[in-house]
Amino acid sequence: MDLPLAVQCEGITKRYKHFTLQNVDLSFEQGTVMGLVGPNGAGKSTIMRMVMGLIGPDSGSVKVLGHAMPKDQIAAKRHIGFVAEDMRLYEGETIAFHMDFIRSIFDTWDGDYAKVLLRRLDLNENQKVKGLSHGQRVKATLLLALARRPGLLVFDEPTTGLDPVVRREVLDEMMNALADETRSVLFSSHNTLDVEQISDYITFIYGGRVVESLNKEEFIDGWRRLRLVNPNNAPLPALANIRDVQQSGQIVTVTVTGYDDSLPAVFSQAGMTVTAVERLTLEEIFLSIVLFAKANAKMELAA
Amino acid sequence: MSASIVPQLVLKDFRLHRSIILVFALVVLLSAGLVSFLIGRIPDWVALNLGFILLLGPAATCGIVLLMKSNVFEKEKSTQAFIMSLPVTVREFTKAKLLLNLPVFGLFWLAVSAAGFYFAFGRGLFPLGAVPFVTMVFLGVLLSYTCILSTSLVSQSLGLTVLSIALFEMVTSAYLWTIAYLEGTRRYIWGSQIVWTPMFLAIVAAQILAAAGVIAITLHLQNRKRDFI
Repeated sequence: MDLPLAVQCEGITKRYKHFTLQNVDLSFEQGTVMGLVGPNGAGKSTIMRMVMGLIGPDSGSVKVLGHAMPKDQIAAKRHIGFVAEDMRLYEGETIAFHMDFIRSIFDTWDGDYAKVLLRRLDLNENQKVKGLSHGQRVKATLLLALARRPGLLVFDEPTTGLDPVVRREVLDEMMNALADETRSVLFSSHNTLDVEQISDYITFIYGGRVVESLNKEEFIDGWRRLRLVNPNNAPLPALANIRDVQQSGQIVTVTVTGYDDSLPAVFSQAGMTVTAVERLTLEEIFLSIVLFAKANAKMELAA
Repeated sequence: MSASIVPQLVLKDFRLHRSIILVFALVVLLSAGLVSFLIGRIPDWVALNLGFILLLGPAATCGIVLLMKSNVFEKEKSTQAFIMSLPVTVREFTKAKLLLNLPVFGLFWLAVSAAGFYFAFGRGLFPLGAVPFVTMVFLGVLLSYTCILSTSLVSQSLGLTVLSIALFEMVTSAYLWTIAYLEGTRRYIWGSQIVWTPMFLAIVAAQILAAAGVIAITLHLQNRKRDFI
């Protein structure tokens, strides 16, 4: 029997006074990791909250592990571990209090694993939450989500505001959690390095819209930066996949998406010399996408 | 795994706020002791007013503090996102808050009402004719509390909750004056017999039904909410 998709959002829209999430499609299979990347205010948290059933879409549908959200959220949330940057625990209580509470709710709670996590994350279960640093609070929330052994982990910017050491610890623990091949993860961040490390699929979101959604390897493989020499100042070929052009004298740098090996020849035929073809990091791709989307939005507004 | 986690949520809130409940329970007990000691040593009308303030004050304050800490601050301090990430709906979340706040305030209210009746009638501060009046007073307090609790649950707003406290305090005062000036009250309050006029019965029934109605409306409104964070 086919497993239902881990998350299946179809045409979801949500209107707020100053922001609209527009017709978002986002799906991925169980056992995979989807990274949701976008700048602040792009709509990542709105999508995450819809996936958790905390807000309902104005139109479109959301299914999580086969359960319609928010209608069947109780059944769905029995299998979801959620960690959000703005999620807080009870300040006056200890980590042990929270562990007891979660244990009383989930019979999947794994006490031994919780102890392992306490040690690995360097947490003291008898410490009160108000005495924890921001990083320790995130780690405690992560522990509470992981030790219940959920089928789907939803992480909404968990690494925001963490120092590099804690960020590494949190990411390592997330990677460890992925050793279970049936576990799925939806992970949002504006830190592309984090997403690049753990994701199988990447969705870029900007201005409430999905800009790109692809397999990570395909995604990164499709982007190139071509360094050209243009001695005669010839016009660039009119290619739809050019995302950015920087020129300094005869030196031209062109960023393209949907790259294939025949592309350098197109520039050569136009009278230019291709001196280098470079791969882009996810961060560079992210910036190109956002800047291109911004420029398009400005043009649409002007039109 | 149980079908609903409401019991766990109620227990969690009780564990979080039990020290507050305990402190106010002790204050009510001490107040009751003080009032009992003072009756006969100070004029009856002073004992009556003092009793009203010393008993009802801590009970009402406990109710308000509990609903603030267990509900309004849940949102203010972002612990609500943690709770709502668990297998629970808005309706169940609301049910859990009602099942903590109503019984706790209800117990305080019953204890204070019982003490009030004892002091008023058992120790002879009031004649028996005042039983319907005192009943309506205590039911008015219960109804006011229910309305404040409902406002707090539906709005989860500190400002609106404080506004509702101020509003219902004024409404309760106006209500007390109104029932004190009812024809039936003036006629029977100083009598030695308990007389339940149709008007008294209608008011008591309306108060009980209104309190139940407010709770039902609260659950209905919460059930309709699509966004809860």
